[in-house]
Amino acid sequence: MITPSSEDLYRVEKKDLFASGHRACGGCGQALAARLVADAAGENTIACVATGCLEIFSSPYPDPSWRIPFLHSLFENVSAVASGVEAAYKALKKGPVNIIAQGGDGGTADIGFQSISGMFERGHNVLYICYDNEAYMNTGVQRSSFTPLGAKTTTTPMGNTTRKKNLPLIAADHGIPYVATATVDDFRDLQRKVKTALLIKGPKYLHILAPCPLGWGHTGDLTVAICRLAKATGLFPVYEIINGKVSNVQKIQEKKPVEEYLKLQGRYKHLFKKGVPVKAVAEIQGIANQNIERFNL
Amino acid sequence: MLKYLEGSHGVSQVVAMCRPHVISAYPITPQTHIVEDLARLVGEGKLDAEFINVESEFSAASVVLGASAAGARTYTTTTSQGLLLMNEVIYCIAGMRLPIVLTCANRAISAPLNIWNDQQDSMTVRDAGWIQLHAEDNQEAADLHVQAFKIAEQTFLPVMVCMDGFILTHAFEPVDIPEQKEVDAFLPPFKPQNIVDPRWPRGIGLYADPRFYMEVRYILHRALEKSESVIKQVSGEFAKTFGRQSGGLLKTYKIEDADLVIITMGSVAGTIKDLIDQLEAEGKKVGLLQICSYRPFPRKEVYRVLKDKMNLLVIEKSISLGRGGILGSDVRWSFPRTEKKDRKISCFVSGLGGRNISISDLRYAVERVEKEPVELEFLGLNPDLIAKGDL
Amino acid sequence: MNKLPLGLVVDLRTVVPYKTGSWRTMQPLNIMQTPPCSHSCPINNDIRGFLRILADRQDYDAAWHVLTRTNPLPATCGRVCPHPCEGGCNRRDFDYPLAINSAERAVGDYGLEKHLEHKKLIPKRKEKVAVVGSGPAGLSCAFHLAKRGFQVKIFEAQGEPGGMMRYGIPSYRLPKEVMNREIEAILRLGIDLECHAKVGVNIPMDQLTQFYDAVFMGPGAQLGLPIGVPGEEARGVYTGVDFLKMVNRGKTVDVGKDVVVVGGGNTAMDSARVAKRLGANVCVVYRRTRVEMPAITAEIDEAMEERIMFRYHTNPVKIIADEGRVVGLLCVQMELKEPDASGRARPVPIPGSEAVIPADTVIMATGQAVDYDGLEVQKIDNKWISTNALQMTSIDKVFAGGDAVLGLETVSAAIGQGLRAAEAIEDYVEGQVESRLSPPPVIYSKDLNTYYYLKAHRFQRDALPVHIRLKGFSEIYPAFERGEIAKEAERCFSCGLCFNCANCYMYCPDNAVKKAKSGTTYEFDLDFCKGCGLCAKECPCHYIQMTLEK
Repeated sequence: MITPSSEDLYRVEKKDLFASGHRACGGCGQALAARLVADAAGENTIACVATGCLEIFSSPYPDPSWRIPFLHSLFENVSAVASGVEAAYKALKKGPVNIIAQGGDGGTADIGFQSISGMFERGHNVLYICYDNEAYMNTGVQRSSFTPLGAKTTTTPMGNTTRKKNLPLIAADHGIPYVATATVDDFRDLQRKVKTALLIKGPKYLHILAPCPLGWGHTGDLTVAICRLAKATGLFPVYEIINGKVSNVQKIQEKKPVEEYLKLQGRYKHLFKKGVPVKAVAEIQGIANQNIERFNL
Repeated sequence: MLKYLEGSHGVSQVVAMCRPHVISAYPITPQTHIVEDLARLVGEGKLDAEFINVESEFSAASVVLGASAAGARTYTTTTSQGLLLMNEVIYCIAGMRLPIVLTCANRAISAPLNIWNDQQDSMTVRDAGWIQLHAEDNQEAADLHVQAFKIAEQTFLPVMVCMDGFILTHAFEPVDIPEQKEVDAFLPPFKPQNIVDPRWPRGIGLYADPRFYMEVRYILHRALEKSESVIKQVSGEFAKTFGRQSGGLLKTYKIEDADLVIITMGSVAGTIKDLIDQLEAEGKKVGLLQICSYRPFPRKEVYRVLKDKMNLLVIEKSISLGRGGILGSDVRWSFPRTEKKDRKISCFVSGLGGRNISISDLRYAVERVEKEPVELEFLGLNPDLIAKGDL
Repeated sequence: MNKLPLGLVVDLRTVVPYKTGSWRTMQPLNIMQTPPCSHSCPINNDIRGFLRILADRQDYDAAWHVLTRTNPLPATCGRVCPHPCEGGCNRRDFDYPLAINSAERAVGDYGLEKHLEHKKLIPKRKEKVAVVGSGPAGLSCAFHLAKRGFQVKIFEAQGEPGGMMRYGIPSYRLPKEVMNREIEAILRLGIDLECHAKVGVNIPMDQLTQFYDAVFMGPGAQLGLPIGVPGEEARGVYTGVDFLKMVNRGKTVDVGKDVVVVGGGNTAMDSARVAKRLGANVCVVYRRTRVEMPAITAEIDEAMEERIMFRYHTNPVKIIADEGRVVGLLCVQMELKEPDASGRARPVPIPGSEAVIPADTVIMATGQAVDYDGLEVQKIDNKWISTNALQMTSIDKVFAGGDAVLGLETVSAAIGQGLRAAEAIEDYVEGQVESRLSPPPVIYSKDLNTYYYLKAHRFQRDALPVHIRLKGFSEIYPAFERGEIAKEAERCFSCGLCFNCANCYMYCPDNAVKKAKSGTTYEFDLDFCKGCGLCAKECPCHYIQMTLEK
């Protein structure tokens, strides 16, 4: 068990509880995030996982990559399954144990939205981790409600025309005690947030930006660099909401224009073609500016 | 102890005696009285269990899935649309070999919306890998739940106990409610095989590529087939412990020298027995075969019982649209192709959406098949309501 | 094949991981690269190595041993070296270059304070080498040979070892005590030293080539050259070399009230600053500008701080004497025209701009030469000893290095030459014809991922106030706080060598980066590495590089 001394919270954990041998693409942000999460949570943890990339690449019979108990059933129900595990531990008077429900953006914000809302509202002692890769990657890069404005997916071939659903704030409005966002580049911060969340009783939500080289159209070596740019541009604000109060907002040291972020990724390539109105990029810059203002980045 | 109570409460009280650890359900008529009573028992501290109020049947099934995977004895109940919404989880539970018990308060399915009884809902998941047991009356409904947990936990197969909505769930009848200690003696504590527990890390719910999937499904199919013996055995043990016959694979009534055998499932058996008695007084030899275990379907047992019966009449509360009777198909399939006998098998779809099945309806059917076999007929259909072109 | 378990449940403790290494088309490699500091250092000191030790564990003992692997005079160089290493430091593009020179001095001083001893690599071998001259080049060559077991004898023309370090560099820059003790430590490796032995005069060169397996010539550039204007024979006119030699030998020199120093090199600066300390007003006359002055920048800065006057674009025409004693220097103003062959702007006199600068002493520090008395070797420009790439002169088995080869250079450059000559001599003696491995490529700022480094202030050494400095010859920079130096060492980027930041280890999505058994470095598990390149991209110091899969 982690004690709430800051030294423990800030210690970087590497235990390989999410081990080598998974079938993720090279440079997969989600695979990296999943290991950081598992290692931060430690051995006394149960990982419930929604169907999706993470589940597919990490849990083929007979050689799954998990070294902590792993439970998967379906795409849209991981929150309910985790609720059930938690209820069982209560009823059987076992534990304490860390229960982590994990899913991609579809399993969290779209098809799994009802289930996660139910888990939050019922107050289960479960940490939900959303690996946000901004589209349905497992099925071949289709649009999700996390697909940002302008991004090309196979079902938004002309670029997505809507804005990204803001699930962290929706989660916070359930009145749950802890909500946080994180990115895979800052593993110390990410692991601290996992550990912090696990110290808090009740439902917790951690939203991790996890770049998908294949879906975003960048080489695998850029996964970390892209996360940094997502933060530096203001497109992905990193913060915590503790008992409803936004806190520990990560300030941007050196603000970057969104172009720097967009230009690294194939999914935004069309925005920079000749004849495409500059307006499109300006709108995305507008979103970044709003974030910067809203969270005082 | 004999109690005069509603069918739902018979079930809820017996379920409580089975000491489930986690109960999760979403309200839907006519299942509500079961969950309300269980919620009350948990709330009043009479049942030491977690009762999880969820936001959908999908989550109800998922909660019990998770709880079962974590080693808890679990229970849920639903019907109709709820079962349809659960469908995906229902399949998953069986595939994961989780011994969950579910009560289906059988009800019609939309559209049109209809809350009354038939058995179309449970038919939608007959191929899901669950054991499906059908209760004839409230006593059997209650008894089947005690057996269901035992069967499930011995076979690692989920068990669905079907009881006709309203006709049983909302009907008051005397029900012999067992003593807690009798139930405890009959049903040992759940010993799960594989659970999510950090002390013994297991991967549960892995995916299988084409090298493995077919074998997993074959094993599941064989497990269901083999569960026939467990169902029989548990029913026998139940009879020994509680002194009454309940459940098992099938039941018969006055079948020995019958010229015509009616085959059915669920509560309509009672009406049919009345008719059989009337017909007997009139000198007609009609018998009854009740299917209790619809899945696994006791094909061999059915054949053994009906081998020499040449005129069979299936009364069922469901329909495979565009194909015909479902139970009828199962019965027809029970006889080997090689059998050269001129057996007549008729099928009547009846009571859909709560349409009353009266003795006269049934008498009509019997008289009809005495003359000639009927491929498929909707019993008690009102032709006045049907436009000519739709006939 | 295992039978399928119930519900396809797997015991996670028994999983045999699936190997994903075959997916790879690119492969990460740990490749040690040359940091620009070492590359810029004439001795190629392992600067990164000794700074790392200071940063990680403040182990000055180990740091001294790392540094003295190449440089036997760290306390000396830490004082007098113009530290081109800092000019190369990649940190200069980030915030400020590391204070390598100060760190070197701190490590050198520690070695002196703790009387650390050099260790021999090879105990003893039969070959004998003669070293001519005990300046930095000769000492360095002798040191490296002695460490390799050679029997070394140094022949020194002067009464004491050190060469220009002793007779050229004033003690406010390099206290004699520091130099003496470093030389003593070198000699303790078992090196013979014979003073007052001027090869070519007292000892014939043939004798050395006959009795020794190899000879190293490091005679330096001990002759000060006159500037070639009328009146140089007047009293009170010295060459810079002679002037510094006199002062450094402890002779009292009466320089009078006004001193004019001609030249812009280090000898000029040293002469000017020494004269200032002797109580004179000093004026440096230089025909170009500050930018073109070849002296070490810090020396010029310090000279300016010490209120030495600089007259640029000024060239001596004639020394004016009265009764045989200098009274002034007639100079002409120059203007700069298009650059000459050396690339520096060509000064051309402005007609009619002549003026006299009053002077009681004129010090000519515009040129030096090798004292070839009795030495017959091939020369370049009739000035410097000519050597081949392996530092061998025109005479077989005779090698050379230092100022005599380089022209006027620094102590470090001489040490570097001594080191390379020692290597060449070792190869020569062993009949080794293959050249030594050249160092790996140099890392530049563009290769680094500087995101992971924090901006931090550079260590600032505090100089004595000018009025105290000028009171005598005490050292300008007092000793440094060791903790502060260790903190400064933490700023080192460790260009081209793992410094255990663990980025690769933490970022690998496949956990294919494992801790090496040593616990301080990382290895790639090629059974699982998919070759995504994330480790290389996020390696701050470019130690990890992607190569094509074989």
